Amino acid sequence: MDPLLIGTVLKSIIVLSIVSALAGFGTYIERKVLAFMQRRLGPTHVGPFGLLQIAADGIKLFTKEDIIPSNANKLIFSVAPAIAAATAFIAISAVPLFHTFEFTVPVINQLVIVPSVIADINIGILFVLGMMAAGLYAPLLAGMAQANKWGIIGSSRTAVQFLSYEVVTGLSVMAPIMLVGSLSLIDFNNAQADGVGSWIVWQQPVAFVLFLIAGFAETNRTPFDLLEHEAEVVSGYATEYSGLRWGMFFIGEYANMITISFLLAIIFCGGYSDIGFVAGWLAMLLKVAFFFFLMLWIRAAWPHVRPDQLMWLCWKVLMPIAVINIVITGLVVMLG
Amino acid sequence: MSENMITMTIDGVACQAKEGEYILNVARANAIFIPAICYLTRCSPTLACRICLVEADGKRVYACNAKAKDGMEVLTSNQEILEERKAIMQVYDVNHPLQCGVCDQSGSCELQNYTLELSVDTQPYVIADTTREAKNWSSVLHYDPGLCIVCERCVTVCKDMIGDAAITTGARGGVELDKEYKESMPKDAYSMWNKLQKSVITPSNDTDSTNCSDCGECIAVCPVGALVSRDFVYTTNSWELTKVPATCAHCSSGCQIYYETKPTSIENRDQKIYRVTNEWNYLSLCGAGRFGYDFENRVVAKNEVAFRVAIDAIKSAQAIRFTSVITNEEALMLQTLKEKLGVKLFNTEAKAFQNFMSSYTTHSGNMLFGGNIKEMMQTSDFIISIGSSLRNDNPNVRYLFNNIQKLNKGAGLYFHPVGDSLITSMGKNITQIEHKVGTEEAILYWILDQFADKEKLPSEINEYITSFHEVSKKTITEKVITDVTETVVDAETGESKEIVKKVTTNVEKEIEVVANRLLDILDAPADFDATLEKYLGKKENFSLVLGEDLYFHSQVKNLAHLVALIEEFTPFSVAIIPPRTNSLGVALLCELDDDMNDDKITTVGYNTIGDFVLSSLGNGDLDMPAMNQQEGTLTNMHKRVVPTNAAVSYHGYELNDIMNELGFGQDLTVDWTSLLPTGRGFKSVDFDSLPNGYTNSGEENRGYRLENKTTKSTSSIPTKIVTSDISGEILYRCNPQRQFNEFTDKAHQIFEEFALYVSKEKAEMLGDKATLEINNKEFTLPVVVDDRMSGDIIKLPDFKHSHEIYTHFGDSRFKSTTIRKA
Amino acid sequence: MNEIRKEDERVKGTQEYVLLDLSHSPETGFDQFAQVVKRTFGKELFVGLWVTLREMGSTLFGKGKHTVSYPLEKMPIAPRYRAIHDMLRLLESGNYRCIGCGLCEKICISNCIAMDTKYDENQRKEVSEYTINFGRCIFCGYCAEVCPELAIVHGGRYENASEQRASFSLFEDMLKPIDMLTQQKEFDGFGAVSPNADENIKKTPLAY
Ligand code: SF4
Ligand code: SF4
Ligand code: SF4
Ligand code: SF4
Ligand code: SF4
Ligand code: FES
Repeated sequence: MDPLLIGTVLKSIIVLSIVSALAGFGTYIERKVLAFMQRRLGPTHVGPFGLLQIAADGIKLFTKEDIIPSNANKLIFSVAPAIAAATAFIAISAVPLFHTFEFTVPVINQLVIVPSVIADINIGILFVLGMMAAGLYAPLLAGMAQANKWGIIGSSRTAVQFLSYEVVTGLSVMAPIMLVGSLSLIDFNNAQADGVGSWIVWQQPVAFVLFLIAGFAETNRTPFDLLEHEAEVVSGYATEYSGLRWGMFFIGEYANMITISFLLAIIFCGGYSDIGFVAGWLAMLLKVAFFFFLMLWIRAAWPHVRPDQLMWLCWKVLMPIAVINIVITGLVVMLG
Repeated sequence: MSENMITMTIDGVACQAKEGEYILNVARANAIFIPAICYLTRCSPTLACRICLVEADGKRVYACNAKAKDGMEVLTSNQEILEERKAIMQVYDVNHPLQCGVCDQSGSCELQNYTLELSVDTQPYVIADTTREAKNWSSVLHYDPGLCIVCERCVTVCKDMIGDAAITTGARGGVELDKEYKESMPKDAYSMWNKLQKSVITPSNDTDSTNCSDCGECIAVCPVGALVSRDFVYTTNSWELTKVPATCAHCSSGCQIYYETKPTSIENRDQKIYRVTNEWNYLSLCGAGRFGYDFENRVVAKNEVAFRVAIDAIKSAQAIRFTSVITNEEALMLQTLKEKLGVKLFNTEAKAFQNFMSSYTTHSGNMLFGGNIKEMMQTSDFIISIGSSLRNDNPNVRYLFNNIQKLNKGAGLYFHPVGDSLITSMGKNITQIEHKVGTEEAILYWILDQFADKEKLPSEINEYITSFHEVSKKTITEKVITDVTETVVDAETGESKEIVKKVTTNVEKEIEVVANRLLDILDAPADFDATLEKYLGKKENFSLVLGEDLYFHSQVKNLAHLVALIEEFTPFSVAIIPPRTNSLGVALLCELDDDMNDDKITTVGYNTIGDFVLSSLGNGDLDMPAMNQQEGTLTNMHKRVVPTNAAVSYHGYELNDIMNELGFGQDLTVDWTSLLPTGRGFKSVDFDSLPNGYTNSGEENRGYRLENKTTKSTSSIPTKIVTSDISGEILYRCNPQRQFNEFTDKAHQIFEEFALYVSKEKAEMLGDKATLEINNKEFTLPVVVDDRMSGDIIKLPDFKHSHEIYTHFGDSRFKSTTIRKA
Repeated sequence: MNEIRKEDERVKGTQEYVLLDLSHSPETGFDQFAQVVKRTFGKELFVGLWVTLREMGSTLFGKGKHTVSYPLEKMPIAPRYRAIHDMLRLLESGNYRCIGCGLCEKICISNCIAMDTKYDENQRKEVSEYTINFGRCIFCGYCAEVCPELAIVHGGRYENASEQRASFSLFEDMLKPIDMLTQQKEFDGFGAVSPNADENIKKTPLAY
């Protein structure tokens, strides 16, 4: 069999399991961090420091009754969560997470080279963004299929939010792409391999901020969690979901958060290159952890915005800025 | 007593009243409130509390003691009176223990009520307290002198109503009142206090126990928590109790009672009767009614198997034997069974009563006797009792006998073979004639002789009576009092004085005497004629009460005939006392058969012996509800049909279920009430519309009064006196006080045992236990001294059916026997 | 406008409310933009972040934690709190205070108190059993208020979940354990003796 295929399958399995585990762990971290920020304790009772709470929640989600409302479009209703989870994981497949691993298999004494990216496609960044954008069908379809007014509102909000933010996401990475001259994320990483000074964030701070903001919208995190904001639309597109299906939305969201964190680290913050004595994989983990934490932190600190504010912000503020940023970058690249 | 109606005003309200009535009663009848503590309706005023002070025509009088006059104007309060009353309440509160929290009377305490009513909020008076220990006076009485306010209500009721006069005021040994108070405090309050501080209540026989009838009426009237039943002390608060108005099921008085119920305990939420109370102002209970209440038959479920057997037993029975402790409805059901199935109905006591009554009806034309016990109590001043051991047979008639002596200044004659010292102790004008057994005819003839309008009396009777008269000359010694004047010299002063002295001399005189041999038959005392003359002075309202001895008598027909004649030709109003609870109802409703106690007849017994036994006592083959577990009506001696109610739950079968199974039933037992035959004086009314209470003025508002039906009387001449000789030891079928039937026996507070009751002298001869023989059957029973009895006759109770006492006695209440020490 | 302010003043009272100045919200597009810029680059967002971070630090390492680890930790409850009843004892003798007067039974609006009493060997009224049906009790406190002996009071036992909603509480359950007599506290709520009770009472004279 083709070793590449075997490697890819193996890597897929490893990444899939690690990321979904991390997504679960992410819920734990989120609850803990939010709790601390609100002077609470978060989960404490299941396992040491409440760690097994994830397992408990998992068991709960798995064993809970799966309800499909009688008026729902059954097919779409059941498929939608799968879209959410699948797109999130597929997106990761093009993200180089770490260095290429090189090691000698002891017995056969053969050098094995394993690139950490599952599929190194040269339009990686486009693929990832495209995949994440495709993920928007999940809430859109879910909301419309469930025959519930909150679901419909959630769907329409999804449409509003994604239409707006895909624009900003695309425009904001345009400038770094122009700088690097490639769509492969590995090239992005390599372009910033010369230490902290070479990070694109210094050259493209505006693009960074725009991408960050767009990233929040992409993962529908506070302050842009309009889709399922409890106080307004009960649970939005997820209103009628329960059990494992609901869990898949959840995992998709957290997988997306992880993906965005990786993207931020790779596109703007030097990727997995070593920083002085800090090994690249560690640096990568720290960066990803920081961005993840940032998302939680912001959730604890900031209020969310209204849909109209969101659109206003996007179309009237962020998009013009992004365009201006591209123009300026273009000029600089051309002149430089 | 004159019946003149007068008009007076109380607080500006015009009130109609009988002349001579007490102001307090007039006010009460007109719903005007005058505080009063010590006064008891139907008893004489004691003037112990003085709180009923009012102003009548400008003078201060005590409302409970001052009689209403025409045009009188009464003010129930003014400033001065209010102060006086408040001071009285303050005095009552001096040293009164602050123990309302545990006191049994709390919530219905008159001391609490009046203290509040008169807004006593400070205590200006003070005196050192005296230690007073709580005591048990008898098996039922618990007296706590610490709480007693010495209103003397208990003393009064015991004397004026009950007749025992078992308690009286005694010395308290308290500190003298501070002289200063005499000036400083209102004078009625002072004199009340002065008396209060000196007295407590004690048994009047100088011992620690009352040795009385244990009627508990003193408990009922006590306004505070001083007198309580021993069984009731501290068991519940009065406000937790639900009052179920009912009718006492033990004797033919059919007194109105309230069963007071509450759940048995925290674990057992079934209702339990905690005590029985009564409207003590208008009616007095006896000990059986007050304490014999827990005779219910606790049945948790229907026993279908027994029921089926019962149905078969009734279908195949030739006779149903029952007692008079059943409701009218049940009696009607049994009569229906007789009509439909042709069974015979056996009821010994009701049959005897029925025989008497039917003979009475034949000769008088009246279905019911004319006398009314309640009216007698208010108006009668001369009473004769024949054929009943009053103390044991019917407490209410005994109260009547007593009340006539105490309140109406009356006189009484008590004819009975068994002497009873309680009766004679009721008043000065009572003569007890311990006549020979079976001579009741002579008494009735004597009454005709003495009181009948001889002009109207049929001449044959007249002749017969006069044949007993013996005219003789007799020398008597008469006392003549003359005044003699003497001159006496005083030894010290030497003065001489004239003193008038009364000197009695005896003068011999010859007069013509009419001796009546009837009296000799009766063993009347020698000077009986003179006594009677004294008794009859100024008497205008005569009553005659007749008891069970007359119905169980070989001459029963003739006796009834004589009674009819007495009612017709003498001024006596006559009350014929039914022997048992509902004997009158049974006698009116059922066609009874003679019970020959034939073993070959298959019988169903209802609360008595039979081949198959329906029992409300819980010891038969099929359970029936007891009287406190069922609704229905009873016919009492006041000729009233009165309702009773269920106080305790019952989950088994009722007689009506049996009737339904046989196809003659009604929906409910009480549906039979309106079916009671109007031809027998009953009314066709619904059970639920029957009232059961008293009005403010004391009028009885219970059920309805039986209507008297008249027929044409057959005039014939009664037969001559037949005296039967009875010799040897004589037994008298008679229950101890408070014991009427097996239901009273079942009650845990009725202690009187099944024993031989004898006078003290007789007991000395018999020892602790005696064996007697009747109809070849031996009974060995304990001997109990009844220290109010005199004579040799032995009382043998009949309240236990298993002993078949009725059967042994046959048609008489007296029986000769042989007896020996056991 | 002024009127509203006046109103506000009145509402403000003595408490330290900060009134928001809502008088000018952005009207033109540019105003809105300016506001966004101001809010974005002003301190506000970062202050928010700082505050949450600071609290996280203090929760983790300092004393910022506000969670009470119930049931391991319990908050002290107010003395007037009306939880499951306690039956107090006399401090001198250790006897229970209840005299069985039945007032609590009478006043209870849920009709959930029941008691059995009897005449005991010492000629006193003995409370042989006493229960409150906590399935019905509404913790109104009337029983504690009416009790003349300060015997029934509300205690601090508020954990009354049980398998049976209508489970009873018996006398022994509520009675202060005799070994905890020294810890017995008087109840401050309804029915407690007012601090100036003595002044309000006129003494009854005594002859001794
Ligand atoms: S008798 Fe009346 S006032 Fe006296 S303690 Fe009893 S309830 Fe209270
Ligand atoms: S015992 Fe009762 S009824 Fe008798 S005197 Fe005392 S308070 Fe009055
Ligand atoms: S129980 Fe009856 S007879 Fe005895 S003292 Fe009381 S009132 Fe008199
Ligand atoms: S708190 Fe209220 S409801 Fe509960 S027992 Fe006391 S009086 Fe009854
Ligand atoms: S009110 Fe107090 S003294 Fe009275 S019964 Fe209730 S707990 Fe006992
Ligand atoms: S009621 Fe008249 S003096 Fe007591």
